[in-house]
Amino acid sequence: MTALAPAMAAARPGLLSRPSTVPALLLLPCMIWIVFFFLLPLALMCWRSLASEGFSLAAYAVLFSSPLYGKVMGTTLKMASIATVCALVLAYPIAYVLTVAGGKLRGLILLFVLIPYWVDIIVRSFSWLIMLGDNGLINKTLIELGLLREPLPLLYNMFSVLIAMVQIVLPITIVTLFGAMLRIDRTLIAAAKIHGASEWQAFRTVFFPLSLPGVYGAGLLVFILAFGFYVTPALLGSPKETMIAQTIMIEASQLLDWAQASAAGAVLLAITTSIAAIYNRYFSLDRLWGGSEP
Amino acid sequence: MSATAGRIGLSAAVIAVIVYLIFPVVVVVAISFSAGNFLRFPPPGLSLRWYETIANDPEWISALWVSVRVGAISAAIATLLGVPAAFALTRYIIPGKSLLSALILCALVTPPIVTALSTYLFFVPLGLVNTIIGLSCAHAVSGMPFVVINTAASLRSADRNLERAAIVHGAHPLWAVMRITLPIISPGIVIGAIFAFVHSTHELLVATFVLGGVGKPVAVKIWSGVQATTDPTIAAASTILIGLAILTFASATATQALAKRRSA
Repeated sequence: MTALAPAMAAARPGLLSRPSTVPALLLLPCMIWIVFFFLLPLALMCWRSLASEGFSLAAYAVLFSSPLYGKVMGTTLKMASIATVCALVLAYPIAYVLTVAGGKLRGLILLFVLIPYWVDIIVRSFSWLIMLGDNGLINKTLIELGLLREPLPLLYNMFSVLIAMVQIVLPITIVTLFGAMLRIDRTLIAAAKIHGASEWQAFRTVFFPLSLPGVYGAGLLVFILAFGFYVTPALLGSPKETMIAQTIMIEASQLLDWAQASAAGAVLLAITTSIAAIYNRYFSLDRLWGGSEP
Repeated sequence: MSATAGRIGLSAAVIAVIVYLIFPVVVVVAISFSAGNFLRFPPPGLSLRWYETIANDPEWISALWVSVRVGAISAAIATLLGVPAAFALTRYIIPGKSLLSALILCALVTPPIVTALSTYLFFVPLGLVNTIIGLSCAHAVSGMPFVVINTAASLRSADRNLERAAIVHGAHPLWAVMRITLPIISPGIVIGAIFAFVHSTHELLVATFVLGGVGKPVAVKIWSGVQATTDPTIAAASTILIGLAILTFASATATQALAKRRSA
């Protein structure tokens, strides 16, 4: 399949003559590292969730029976879903413009989209703390314009958490959607137009349906990311907006209940891994290295 | 819907979303140069006093230094391990390739709190808690996907024939890879390494668990500051982080431009 492998085989007899040896040697260090510093710790965490005092499922019993965990899980699910839908709705037009725009405009928009990606999540959440307060930019402007008498309660509620969450996941949503839209065969849209479709008709009946798989893929990816959010709800939310990552943090760092924290961590891991597996099944992660092409 | 109305609507939507994306960044940067004592936007006047506060505070300096070291070590590990892996994944037919690539990308889709908790539990018996090298080893895992993705992308777009020509003319294949292919794809590798570096300096939860006590990195210090203080020091520290990201990105772009000129 490659020029390298047979040439290497000719140069060095023995072990290296087997075609699978070279890629195995190239991959091995990376895989050993991931197994040792990532998979082994995860396995240990799952083990700790079962083995607090001898072998027991007590931590899981608490997890599934306590109203606290049920409520936090519900909140997490709700916040992650709303954030995902909002991000997709806002990302779609930008991704579409990126797809149809020419080189310079595309570069400029991509630059703007990627700038926030280089800024820390803490910093981006913190910025909303400044803007949304009673004396913050938004309330002050609205009051000075005479539109309001009392400041709106913009901070420490679902609104403040969501507006920051969506801003944080938006760049990756746009880039993922853009990648998917680039794979759409644009000659199909041209064909529709030649046959008399208006621009809007061509978009609605050809481009949009073809872009839907990309939308679902980006949605799954963003949902996984949003599900694990910690900083944003902790900084901008009230106790009502507590998400699962915060509960695990409190369980571990304040209550020092490692078994309980591990059990919650294992459940969170199971949820995100299954969604990632669905993503991998339908939107193969393999595509990132060019799929089946050599 | 008429075509022009559609276009205007689309442009308006794009501009609105861009403002939404950029504005929080502008606010933080502006406040870091504030002359006032409070987090107020627009700032009452401009000054560098909050940067002076950081420059004169040994705790902030040491936090920045810890972040730079952890970022550099983890990016170096991720690069050393990720580049060969990218070669294997792009150039060879490997059984179970999709599983292997999923394994490399796993770190990106695992919730940070899960990674943090499991890493901590694993590091306690190994004595790696409260060590810079421990945190670097953990951050190398999450940095690896960035290196592998960027290296693989450059490898696919690089002209393989140059390497083949060298081999045809009698070069050892390994030599051809090291002297021909690696220089061609080096911009991609550098960008990947920078992404890994920036990811490490931003990472909060693993850092809190592994290096949360004495000698904490800057992200952890910003996080504890954000919850406690109300003066613009945090904004200045954040802006330094942004500056660090821009600086590394600019150097990458410069390297890329330089490489392009050399190859032209």
